[in-house]
Amino acid sequence: MPILEKKTDKATNEFNQYVKPVSLWADAWKRLRRNQMAVIGMWIVAFYLVVTCGAGALPFYSYTDQETLHMNLPPSLKSAGIVALGQLENRRRDLKDAIEKSGRSDLKTDLERVNAEVVQLKGEIDSNPIHKRVYIFGTDYLGRDMLSRTINGGQISIMIGLIGTLTAACIGIILGALGGYIGGWLDNMIGRFVDLMYSLPYMLIVIIIMSMLPTGSNSIFVLFIAIAMISWLTISRVVRGQVISLKNSEFVEAAKSMGAGSGRIIFRHLLPNSLGIIIIYATLQFPSFIMSESFLSFLGLGVSAPRASWGTLVSEGVQGMQLYPWRLLVPGIAMTIFLFAINFLGDGLRDALDPQSKNRS
Amino acid sequence: MKRVLSGLLFIVLAATLIVSCGGTGGASKGVEFIMGNGAEPQTLDPSKIQGVPEHHIYMALFEGLVGYDPKTSLATPGLAESWTVNPAGDQITFKLRKANWSDGTKITAQTVVDSWIRTLDPATASEYAYMVTMVIKGSNEFNTGKAGKESVAIRAVDDSTFQCDLLGPMPYAVDMMAHYAFAVLPMHVINAKGDDWIKKENFVSNGPFKLLEWKPQESLIVVKNDKYWNSKNVALTKITFLPIDDNLTAYNKYKAGEMDWDSGVPLDLIDEVKLRPDYQVSPQVATYYYIFNMTRKPFTDVRVRKALAMALDMQELVDKVTKGGQLATSSMVPTMAGYTPAKGVTFNVEEARKLLAEAGFPGGKGFPKVPVIYNTSSGHKKIAEWVQENWKKNLGIEVTLANQEWTTFLDTRSNAHDFFIARAGWVGDYLDPNTFLDMFIIGSGNNDGLYANTEYDALVKKAATMKPGAERMAVLQQAEALLITKDQAVIPFYHYVSQDMIDLTKWQGWYPNPLGAHEWKTIAPKK
Amino acid sequence: MSRFIVRRVLSIIPTLLVIVTLSFFLIRLAPGGPFSREKKLPPEIMANIMHKYHMDEPMLSQYFRYVGDVLQFDLGPSFRYKDHSVNDLIGTAFPVSIMLGTMALALAVLLGTSVGIVSALKQNKWQDYAAMSVAVLGISIPLFVIGPILMLVFALKLKWLPTSGWISSRAGWMTVILPAITLMMPYFAYIARMSRGSIIEVLRSDYVRTARAKGLKESVVIRKHVLKGAMLPVVSYLGPAFSGIITGSVVVEQIFVVPGIGRIFVQSALNRDYTVIMGEVIVYSIILIVANFVVDILYGLLDPRISYN
Repeated sequence: MPILEKKTDKATNEFNQYVKPVSLWADAWKRLRRNQMAVIGMWIVAFYLVVTCGAGALPFYSYTDQETLHMNLPPSLKSAGIVALGQLENRRRDLKDAIEKSGRSDLKTDLERVNAEVVQLKGEIDSNPIHKRVYIFGTDYLGRDMLSRTINGGQISIMIGLIGTLTAACIGIILGALGGYIGGWLDNMIGRFVDLMYSLPYMLIVIIIMSMLPTGSNSIFVLFIAIAMISWLTISRVVRGQVISLKNSEFVEAAKSMGAGSGRIIFRHLLPNSLGIIIIYATLQFPSFIMSESFLSFLGLGVSAPRASWGTLVSEGVQGMQLYPWRLLVPGIAMTIFLFAINFLGDGLRDALDPQSKNRS
Repeated sequence: MKRVLSGLLFIVLAATLIVSCGGTGGASKGVEFIMGNGAEPQTLDPSKIQGVPEHHIYMALFEGLVGYDPKTSLATPGLAESWTVNPAGDQITFKLRKANWSDGTKITAQTVVDSWIRTLDPATASEYAYMVTMVIKGSNEFNTGKAGKESVAIRAVDDSTFQCDLLGPMPYAVDMMAHYAFAVLPMHVINAKGDDWIKKENFVSNGPFKLLEWKPQESLIVVKNDKYWNSKNVALTKITFLPIDDNLTAYNKYKAGEMDWDSGVPLDLIDEVKLRPDYQVSPQVATYYYIFNMTRKPFTDVRVRKALAMALDMQELVDKVTKGGQLATSSMVPTMAGYTPAKGVTFNVEEARKLLAEAGFPGGKGFPKVPVIYNTSSGHKKIAEWVQENWKKNLGIEVTLANQEWTTFLDTRSNAHDFFIARAGWVGDYLDPNTFLDMFIIGSGNNDGLYANTEYDALVKKAATMKPGAERMAVLQQAEALLITKDQAVIPFYHYVSQDMIDLTKWQGWYPNPLGAHEWKTIAPKK
Repeated sequence: MSRFIVRRVLSIIPTLLVIVTLSFFLIRLAPGGPFSREKKLPPEIMANIMHKYHMDEPMLSQYFRYVGDVLQFDLGPSFRYKDHSVNDLIGTAFPVSIMLGTMALALAVLLGTSVGIVSALKQNKWQDYAAMSVAVLGISIPLFVIGPILMLVFALKLKWLPTSGWISSRAGWMTVILPAITLMMPYFAYIARMSRGSIIEVLRSDYVRTARAKGLKESVVIRKHVLKGAMLPVVSYLGPAFSGIITGSVVVEQIFVVPGIGRIFVQSALNRDYTVIMGEVIVYSIILIVANFVVDILYGLLDPRISYN
């Protein structure tokens, strides 16, 4: 990428150093590799991408298979039949307690049912291969494997995070830089447009878009549009602020005096110098895109059941966390680890791309 | 750095100071009761009320001619001491007791007449006025602006005698009149203040309680009304209604002892809730069901509809998915006094497959991939996922699921009828099968699946003109048999139960009842 | 500068007008209306209601009626909460949200910048990693998870605080603590991360190097030079953050039953309560425009390099 090579501006404020003719990117890559946390982050992200994209080819249980005798099983390395039997025994004890101690005779039918299930389970525990399954991360309310649901949820969430971040960065950077650099009426127009987009009732706009599609059609594409629509607003304001504060600095003056055009100044001088803050913002926004998917799924946009996303899994998990903590923790931790990785990777990138630290250390 | 830390310390100190100053609330004597009331009440004006939270508040502030029996939900004397029905069954005469508004103004039979006229007045734009127009002669003409208020067949015979003519011999009319649509209103204030009568400073009531304060979205507090005719038998002195729409928050608040009655429980914690001694569950007059769009292929074929219904084991659904004690059913109408619901098909996979094959989809082959729509809610979602999986497993049919936000959903289902299969629920307005059956007649605004069977219509209309008794119930049962047993226009899933948290070792006079209408005057602390 | 201010103030009016006009027609495109009911209203009753709320008039005359009312600061009646005017509803909810939002944001700025400073000064040491991990957690864990967990721990298990409610309830000011902390989390994290980044940049800048070379004490360098320079991105974030924290506290308000403006907004959008939606849109856009405006002015004050001519 030789276009982003930096010579002229560096000479003005780093005159005491010898500038090696190394491209920004090669240099950045070298420094990124030296940052341990960033490398770990990169490996984790790569691992997630491989697992979620290759889930179909890997030996996981189906994320839709429901097993009535396996509902709400806690994580365990034991076979499902044994875990389920333990759960039923616990339930039986609780029901007996409630019937005896609180006089809840209405629970007797429940107790009979649990007894019948115990008999059924004991009868087929050895013959039915389904009870040999191992749910290392437990099951959900319909007896579906949490691990495969989390992996499946990762597919959509990661994709949304990436697309949201990329569109936000592209649109936000271009509009923010233009507004900030050129200023005047253009800046004012872009600024007011951002205000407008912020102010319009987003929820209703999504509802209107949805109503224009045929009932039951649910395209991921629309979801991306809905997210892209607002994702760039904040970042454009930040870029604008950064560009405004840089555009009167010495190196820009120098570039101007050497006859550089606006495009060249923006893309070669202003943006590379704002890259740090842009990357931080982009990685910071990543989680909010994942979460906005779970909000949009409330309106019916997003993946439809029985598919899930991290956002929907987590929001369902919260409701039952007092009884089934794994339903919150499994997708929650999976998501958090990924977001951590993205953040450390982002940090590493920021440090590596920082033009100020070029050739240093 | 130090400065930042000291700043932090300062803030923490200041916060504790504020907290310690503001902490104490006024501990007053008397019996206070706090209720988690679901949602923010939309209005206190009985003519404009719709919804359950408003109903709870209405029951505290107002009293109609009749009230609800706390155990059976049937009519009990309220403002009216007694009533008589004429031999033809189409005229009711109420004898009013001596009662006053909370400002001391007397309530007369003329007040009742004026109140009902106000509710019916097109200018009031009352939503539930239709309840009145269903029973009172001439009221529809006035409500639709086709006639003046003289056409409404209600009258004050004298100061304490109120009389109304019905559209026919309607056995459920008196029970219906406990509904807020038949409320008695403080006309002297309404005439003086107009729409502002509902403001706190103008507000008067005739129920066991009167309004103390209303902070939107925060709380609504009522206190005992000393002018109420039966106030010496009212045990509570203050009721606070909290608009908590988050079930988990409400349940936590109840568990923390900050609330006495929580009307709604978190579905995901039902396994824990169910074991608690203070969990009250009772059958409701309400049905959960899926409707077919009867005009869209392949659901025009009754064999397809039956096959889909037969492939679902509703007992498994209520035992393993909803788990709250709901009653699995194959009928549209819940069991009611004197009425035995018509039975629909039962769970039978073999038979279902056979029917589906006969309809041209052996093993589900060639069956179009249609969406099932439901309104967004984790409960509906669980059920839909269970249905989807069972149809796939038992019939080889793939359907997709699509959720919509409530208002969009209503528009899609009830206005545009743009669906194949949709989730629905119906709560009876009064204790009669008619409230579940008359919505399926041709042209009814609630006939979302566009069911059209003239034979059915004739039966429902015939029952409306019949005198109460077994004969009439038999006709209604015939109608239901057409709807469910023969045509399978809907798949009934279960009858709802009301789920409440209230500690009955602490409170007495609270009973589960079919309409969920709880009279506040009977609730008292247990001695 | 003053010319800039005048120009910006003048541009508020057309912006608002465009927002109001667009919103007015947009929200009526959404399926359903304020009187969509599960038990569908008979057409005659619907006609009565439409007439009462002037919804049977042509769209344009409704629009002009509305704009006329708004110019007299009357936002109309709520279609859903029939006993309240929109002015009432927003008037009581707005101060609550402002209070909750200000407290949360103040906490976030205070904690966020302190954490940011610590990690910048200890860049790539364990303090830095620990601080940044907390910050990432703050962003990654959604509010609808943090809220119930805090409630579970501090209200149900430890019984230190009330589960929910607001100041006028029996628990008084104690009710504010949990929602404020929950609401603070993502903003705290943002600010911590951003201030770390910008401080690192400033620490390397020439003027800090000069200051150090002059032999100034490290604490003075940091206070006088580093902090001031590093605050710029934080300040530019405060504009959107302030409007975001007030308008975006829906989840927290819902969980802790706070009578704020966010709950009303979501409810009104779901209920198609047209007048309330419009009222909220107007209030939100004013907050937003003013916040951004203030930020632009602060830019100029904080950074002498910026000029608006």
